[in-house]
Amino acid sequence: MLKIENLKFSHPGQKTPLIYNLVLHPGKTGNFNGPSGCGKSTLLDLIAGFLQPTSGKIMLDGKDIVGLEPEQRPVSILFQSDNLFDHLSVRKNLQLGLAKNPDTKVSTIQNVLEQVGLTEFIDRPASSLSGGQKQRIALARTLLANQSILLLDEPYSSLDKINADKMRQLVEQLTIENNWHTLIVSHLAEDEKQAKSLP
Amino acid sequence: MKAPAHGLRKCSQLFNRRKIINQRLTRKFVGIFFALLVGGLMIAIFAVLIFSPQPANSNALTPDIAHLIRMSLIQAALSTAISLIVGIALAWSLNRLRFWGRSIIISLLATAIVAPGLVIALGLISVWGRAGWIADFADLFAFNWPGGIFGLFGIVLAHTVLNGAFAAHLLLARLSAIPAQKLKLAQSLVLAPWQRFAILDWPAISSALPSLASIIFLLTFTSFPIVLLLGGGPSNQTLEVAIYSAVRLDFDLKTAAMLALVQLGICVAIILPTLGSTQNFSNSGNTSSHHWPDRGIVKFIQIAILIIAIFGFTSPLLAVLQKGLGPEFFETITRPSFIKAAQNSLILGTISAAITLFVAIRIAMTMAITRSKIAKAVFVTPIFAYLVMPSVVLSLGFFIGSRNLGISNAVAAPMVLIIANVLLALPFVYAMIAPAIKSIHSRYDKQARALNLSGFKRWQLVERPLLGREIGLALALTFSFSLGDLGVISLFGTAEFSTLPWQMFRAMGAYRNNDAATIAAIMLLISMAVFLILPSLFNRSVKIAEN
Repeated sequence: MLKIENLKFSHPGQKTPLIYNLVLHPGKTGNFNGPSGCGKSTLLDLIAGFLQPTSGKIMLDGKDIVGLEPEQRPVSILFQSDNLFDHLSVRKNLQLGLAKNPDTKVSTIQNVLEQVGLTEFIDRPASSLSGGQKQRIALARTLLANQSILLLDEPYSSLDKINADKMRQLVEQLTIENNWHTLIVSHLAEDEKQAKSLP
Repeated sequence: MKAPAHGLRKCSQLFNRRKIINQRLTRKFVGIFFALLVGGLMIAIFAVLIFSPQPANSNALTPDIAHLIRMSLIQAALSTAISLIVGIALAWSLNRLRFWGRSIIISLLATAIVAPGLVIALGLISVWGRAGWIADFADLFAFNWPGGIFGLFGIVLAHTVLNGAFAAHLLLARLSAIPAQKLKLAQSLVLAPWQRFAILDWPAISSALPSLASIIFLLTFTSFPIVLLLGGGPSNQTLEVAIYSAVRLDFDLKTAAMLALVQLGICVAIILPTLGSTQNFSNSGNTSSHHWPDRGIVKFIQIAILIIAIFGFTSPLLAVLQKGLGPEFFETITRPSFIKAAQNSLILGTISAAITLFVAIRIAMTMAITRSKIAKAVFVTPIFAYLVMPSVVLSLGFFIGSRNLGISNAVAAPMVLIIANVLLALPFVYAMIAPAIKSIHSRYDKQARALNLSGFKRWQLVERPLLGREIGLALALTFSFSLGDLGVISLFGTAEFSTLPWQMFRAMGAYRNNDAATIAAIMLLISMAVFLILPSLFNRSVKIAEN
């Protein structure tokens, strides 16, 4: 279970600190909605370790992960765009996901591509893919990394409705299958519907 | 009732459209005028060099052109390679490390490009020479420092100090422009330091390398004061210095013209393939907000690189200040000859800076509204003329031309200095200004036209406030270039008409080392002050305008 308790953070010059409290069960997807500047992406940066809170706890299965470096946290992250290195092939982009999960075999790459329905793209340069395909490849990489927490920052904003719906279903399915704690930051109403367990 | 109103509106629309077309034509005309002026000037110089008659009193020996070319190429290739390696290593270290004074170090790197070569050469002699800092330090351990600063080592070292810092500053901007999102992604994927360099850093750096390498190669290939001072003899002579010797020492104009043509040919061969990519320099983007430091041994390597580089870059400058701000300081600066030279340098620098900025802006504005690729090439080529026609070659053309026209040196010198300074700074100022003007044009042109803003009013309200930082930097750059140039004055300088670099060079030639050091220190202080004050002054005016 992912539990955030009184997590406080202030941006430089910000008088009132942002305070976060959240509980997310394994296999569930939480959605954090709100207007621009309300601190949605800041929460993801705090969980991923890119920002350090002034106080509070981020408990994962009873252990506080606040003191861990970003590289040590069991976190995969997906942004609105630019999730792949365009100058590398799909295969090389996927292989980068293995660093966080060394036990995964290279042959698994083919399996995860099957799960996102893009097996034929393995040797294509990432730059040749469409926006939706890139997001699905990036999601396939999170499968390879197989980290307990999946953070998605406006993941569907750059996709058309058909691709966004496909992606949404895939995220939900993978979250359930892998028992991930998935947190989506979004301003789209569809994502709010997907959210199940945010208190 | 509606018809007259409709007619009036149509009439007014037609008038406005015609006004806009006229404004655009005027803009294009001004750009074309400057492009033709600069281009015509280049062709005239070229013609003078080709048709120059052989003087009867020539007493020079035929130079070994193959050796001159070989030496010019070797020193330039070595200087370029080492400058790039140092630049990449320093940019990489500065990108990863955060420490007090980091921004000062970065500002100092930016000023290195404008630090006069003569001053750097003197500083290096004071640090690495037989009686320099290193020799003093070696004495403490009873070690005899050979002090081999003269020759290829000294030339390459001086070029690395100037161009390595320049490369580091540009490449750091490239690294800083890597989007924070990419960094976060790479960090969450736990990329190793070498993977990070290969996947994130190298693509950002490598795209800048061809144009950066060609610029550094040209600057070092045509380097004059450094080779003149640190060359240490004929074996290390380059084409540029040989041209100077042929004119100044042997008065052999035919040989000088022939060497100039050889140099021109080589420079053109180098500049042409990279002409299109020169503008990439200013595409530095925004500084990334996310910082991801390396750890362990990699961090240790970065700290070591930083310490060595800071010593290498700042020690010659500190040595100049230490030597120059000595007891003879006031005596030197109160001499009438010094005051006159300083006045000339400051006036010429100010006029050159203003003209360069004006010309660069006008050409950039023309380029912003020009769509034809051929027309663009015609407008932009003269801007890079200096890169293929270095200052000694340029001044040789003017020198021969003014002699043929019977114009005395005293009359020709100030004008030639200003023209040469403008041409010298134009490629750099244009590369700084053009992308900003292009972006302002694409963003605000329609709005400005809809609001009927034109001419000086548009410049005051739209371009000038948004170009504040670039204007400040461009003025500082041109002023500093002009202040430190020895190439042109080396042919036109006399006891009556002098500038600070010429005074310094003469003082060194007469073994008045303290005078030379004082002048070097003053030139360095003026360059740094101008580079620190002008950009912030113009930046402040932008902030006021934004408020």
